[in-house]
Amino acid sequence: MIAPMTAQNAAPEGRVVFENVSKFYGDVLGVNRVNLSIPPGITGLVGPNGSGKTTLMNLMTGLIRPSRGRVSVFGIGPDDPEALFRLIGYATQFDSFPPGLTGFQFVESYLRVHGFSAKEAEAKTWKSLERVGLVEAAGRKVAGYSKGMRQRVRLAQALSHEPSVLVLDEPLNGLDPMARAEVIALFRELADGGLHVIVSSHILHEVDLISDQVVLINGGYIVAEGEITDVRDEMEEQHPAQVLVRCDQPSLLASRVFEQDHVVEARLVEDGKGLLVRTRDADRFHLVLNEIILDSGLAVESVEPADADVHAVYQYLIGSGEKS
Amino acid sequence: MAVYKRNYGRFQGATTPTWSRFLVLPRYAFKDVFQGRLFVAFFTLCFAVPFVGLILIYLHHNIAALKFMNLPLAELKNALPINSKFFLAGLEWQGGLAFLLTLFVGPALIAPDLRNNGLALYLSRPFSRTEYVLGKMSVLMILLSLITWIPGLLLFFFQSYLEGFGWLRENAGIAFGLFVGSWAWILVLALVSLAVSAWVKWKPVARVALIVVFYVFIGFAAAMNGALNTWWAWMLSIWVAIQNVWASLFGVEMDPDIAVPVWSAWVTLVACCLFCLWLLSRRIRAYEVVR
Repeated sequence: MIAPMTAQNAAPEGRVVFENVSKFYGDVLGVNRVNLSIPPGITGLVGPNGSGKTTLMNLMTGLIRPSRGRVSVFGIGPDDPEALFRLIGYATQFDSFPPGLTGFQFVESYLRVHGFSAKEAEAKTWKSLERVGLVEAAGRKVAGYSKGMRQRVRLAQALSHEPSVLVLDEPLNGLDPMARAEVIALFRELADGGLHVIVSSHILHEVDLISDQVVLINGGYIVAEGEITDVRDEMEEQHPAQVLVRCDQPSLLASRVFEQDHVVEARLVEDGKGLLVRTRDADRFHLVLNEIILDSGLAVESVEPADADVHAVYQYLIGSGEKS
Repeated sequence: MAVYKRNYGRFQGATTPTWSRFLVLPRYAFKDVFQGRLFVAFFTLCFAVPFVGLILIYLHHNIAALKFMNLPLAELKNALPINSKFFLAGLEWQGGLAFLLTLFVGPALIAPDLRNNGLALYLSRPFSRTEYVLGKMSVLMILLSLITWIPGLLLFFFQSYLEGFGWLRENAGIAFGLFVGSWAWILVLALVSLAVSAWVKWKPVARVALIVVFYVFIGFAAAMNGALNTWWAWMLSIWVAIQNVWASLFGVEMDPDIAVPVWSAWVTLVACCLFCLWLLSRRIRAYEVVR
């Protein structure tokens, strides 16, 4: 889980750390007072347009310096770019390719800029192109690639020097469902291997699907961070948890759950075969539900949280008025 | 406590020296530039004058060849002496071609990266803004060197070889003038064209801007000088400045109409370079601030 940075838990080894970081572009706020300590795994960065996601990514990749505070990756700051950029692989959101280059040349040329010898660069280029499934198209010019292929070749160049932290700005844009599934599987494989994969995305259900933890940002401020279930639990007081119970006697269940003081709402679902319950204490509700099932012999088909996902948390914290 | 399984291997080997990495940029730029037939034809033509110079130097030292061609020997030898004026004329001609070559190549160097937000691709690697500019500059520096001081010095050494060591010793200033004069022009051309490329995204407009900067200012400066009865306005003209620098380096008298003190010519060139570096530093950034 992402830990807010404090003196007690400051552990730069193996983490991407923001210590009270603010970034201003003149009078314009980029991000303000950000404290984060990001562990390995997939971290989803979620927020509306202009919320500061790209600023946060540019800060951790050393492309911009904070106006205040300190950013470090595995304890290495932007003052040591040689070491820092060995650790980081960054794919920006921009569809930017030098004219005339083939997919192979695109990946290989930036490896040479990285300082790899010609032989090593070639081997690593093939390896990363293979990882993203672009070996057959390697000899074709990037200008002729589809949007999905361009996304994948950008991912290949970010991965090619074998970084420890992969920072990807909107990496799923333009991918067809098959390619999307393959890329998500690749993220999972890399994260399971100990890599930090930091992904920004507008597609909330995909962030929910792939992320081990999320960072929600709005107006330059971090509004929530951590594993999505933990974030949701912390919001129970202001936003009672919703649980959908599909069963054969939802009316009976409704009458029983209303006896509980933590239940604030119980509503029959449209098909009449389920009950949507809003509760301030989901743990107690689950215990009570067990008792009700045993007492009344309800036939329960499923019990599932209805708003314990990124989308719901996003709606509660950032609001439906914002473009996601 | 969380336990993270680590099976992803990071590269731990040695890398190439930092100073050499900027050379990756011209490698691909050359590939792109030499794909155009028009450019290849023009670049080949740039060697015509050095080749003619080579023939002239050869004929100058081979009386037998001139005799065979039934040409009046003495007049020819006197009409075309191989001296500082000969090399200065070559440099002026090649300098003009260098400007045309810059019009071909320069505007496309930085603008596409900026247009596509491509700078982050370079700068998110162990590659600084200075190295980026140096890499882009080196495209022009290499191409312009090939048509200015390199053929110039080859001709100089060829002449020295035919004339003898004494001539080389007496005329070492010509070699110095060729080298320093060419580099002064190359640096100015490279920096101005990069600065224009960084600020003007559309290639034809960038080309017009380069013509304005180098040549239209001459007319403006002349008008100002005429109106104010002074020579100071020549300091606005890069072309006049480089002409004066070249003339002083080769020890040749300058056309009085555009003659300025040599220090002022150098001031113009240095100020121009510094201004271009400032323009580049304002523009070459990994991100663009949207206000």
